[in-house]
Amino acid sequence: MQYRAKLIKLVTFLGGIYYFLEFVLPASIAGVKIDQYHEQISNGFVAVGAAAIGLGLINLLMVHGSRIIFRRRGWFESCALLLGLTAMAYATAGEWAGSVDSSAQAGRLMMLREFSDRIMADAAANKADVLPVSKRNQFLYDAATKEIPELRALVTRLSNMAGEDVETARAQRLSPRVLAATDALVSGLEDLPRGEAAVGDVGKNSEISQRLADASVLSREGETLLFEQTRTKRFYEFLYQSFFISLGAAMFSLLGFYIAAAAYRAFRIRSSESALMLCAALLVMLGQIPFGLWIWDGFPEVRVWLLSIPSSGAFRAIKIGALVAGLVMAFRMWLSIESESFAERS
Amino acid sequence: MGIEHASLGVLVLMALLIGPVLYYIRLARQERELYVRRIPGVGAIDEAVGRAAELGRPVSYTSGLTGVGPVLYACLGVLYHVARKAARYKLKLLTPQSDAQVLVVAEDTLRDAYRAEGRLALLDARNNMYLSDEQFAFAAGYMGLMQREAVAATFLFGHFAAESLLLAEAGQQAGAMQVASTISPEQVPFFICTCDYTLIGEELFAAAAYLTREPVQLGSLYGQDRAKLLMFVAIVVGVVIATLNSIYPELQLRNIEDYILRELW
Repeated sequence: MQYRAKLIKLVTFLGGIYYFLEFVLPASIAGVKIDQYHEQISNGFVAVGAAAIGLGLINLLMVHGSRIIFRRRGWFESCALLLGLTAMAYATAGEWAGSVDSSAQAGRLMMLREFSDRIMADAAANKADVLPVSKRNQFLYDAATKEIPELRALVTRLSNMAGEDVETARAQRLSPRVLAATDALVSGLEDLPRGEAAVGDVGKNSEISQRLADASVLSREGETLLFEQTRTKRFYEFLYQSFFISLGAAMFSLLGFYIAAAAYRAFRIRSSESALMLCAALLVMLGQIPFGLWIWDGFPEVRVWLLSIPSSGAFRAIKIGALVAGLVMAFRMWLSIESESFAERS
Repeated sequence: MGIEHASLGVLVLMALLIGPVLYYIRLARQERELYVRRIPGVGAIDEAVGRAAELGRPVSYTSGLTGVGPVLYACLGVLYHVARKAARYKLKLLTPQSDAQVLVVAEDTLRDAYRAEGRLALLDARNNMYLSDEQFAFAAGYMGLMQREAVAATFLFGHFAAESLLLAEAGQQAGAMQVASTISPEQVPFFICTCDYTLIGEELFAAAAYLTREPVQLGSLYGQDRAKLLMFVAIVVGVVIATLNSIYPELQLRNIEDYILRELW
């Protein structure tokens, strides 16, 4: 047990000293970058956190699963929890997979556009260690041509979208634009000088880059529009936007009523301090609303003065005090002085 | 100071801040008497628990949205004290949590406290419950709990955001005596309006030291007060320099930040 406590203290100290030195030492000493592995180390901590989420999930299933199986008190709530968890996990996974799918082609087209740009840049820089322009253009042509059937299929799917809602109207407008962009890309690709016999000029590449970018944007827009009509996306939207966000908003809206109740209690003049607070609050409110301006045009100035001088001064005092105390507490934890006192107590 | 990496100047400042803390912790461990001024809110903690004991109704303690970190350790000192009192008076202590890691740490603290009172059998792990890490779901769960259990005393210690008023109003509606403490300056006015006693900012850290009387906590409190004095002097010097530079521009006095960055760096 003693060794275990010592090991924990050692690990805490080593973990703390890394971040301390990372902050205190200069970015590089004698040409050696101190924080060159910082990102990997930070990612390691994130991975540990992710593993903890997995453990939490297993624990949740065990606790609530056993409650349901043995019909212990609150088993019905456990059912609701596990059902909610499963539904949300399914919807979120489906939404993620669908989003990746719907932006896959757009990503490929954008990559081809970058390739076309790179061909032009390399030609302008007269780079010797790359393939000739005509050869690279041939690769660009081959890869871009493979995308054409998918773009045409997108046009068909957009045109076939049935219904009379706003999304269908959007799809009907989008379909000819995608078709036009596809045709423009095809004709541009045909004009692209390529192959062994062709002249290696890059005059057409800027045009191709632009057309690839247009096709990428429209493809993303079209695929996203189609994905939004799927059951998976609608189920996700129902759970997240219509249910989760709405419940949060409902709770947040309660604040309005509670603020009124709290303000009533606070603004009852019970002492000189509360009288002072009432006056300050009244001035701030009058400075905020048009009615105050109508009474006297100096109220906004008074409000700004109150908020930026006495109020922010008090805020800073609280923050400085809390930060110093937090820093001291952090040092105590780092040096395991805090855990020592807890251990002694136990 | 607009720097990515600290260096010698900041190291010196940190040493100046931490030095007094380590010195006073040593003094406190040598059993030297260190006086701590009484904070009314801290005294109210015992009063609130006593009131709950008289009414025979539960007590609630929450650290809000606090995660594992320095603030939580300060909150745990107060939780330990409240839990000991609750164990002594055989009160039901509810500790709703919004963080799974905090739940485990709080459970350990509760066990320590009940064991210290020799009433470990009274500890009911179901009263240390995880509600949700979602801000408003946690607030909704907490509000329901306060109403159902008709708590007589609530303690809100830690980090809070927009849900602070929802939590405090729930306690108010249940007729509970409330003591709150937060390091979030934006939430202080809400607590002042709604709670019977409010500890502001660093008083949260002082509360644990005052209640537990542990040498480490008392020494740190003394040390950090001296460190703050140092910062206060630096602020006054800075204000004087800025004022003199503004009235007599020909003096061209260098400000403290400039001195640290150019001389100590």
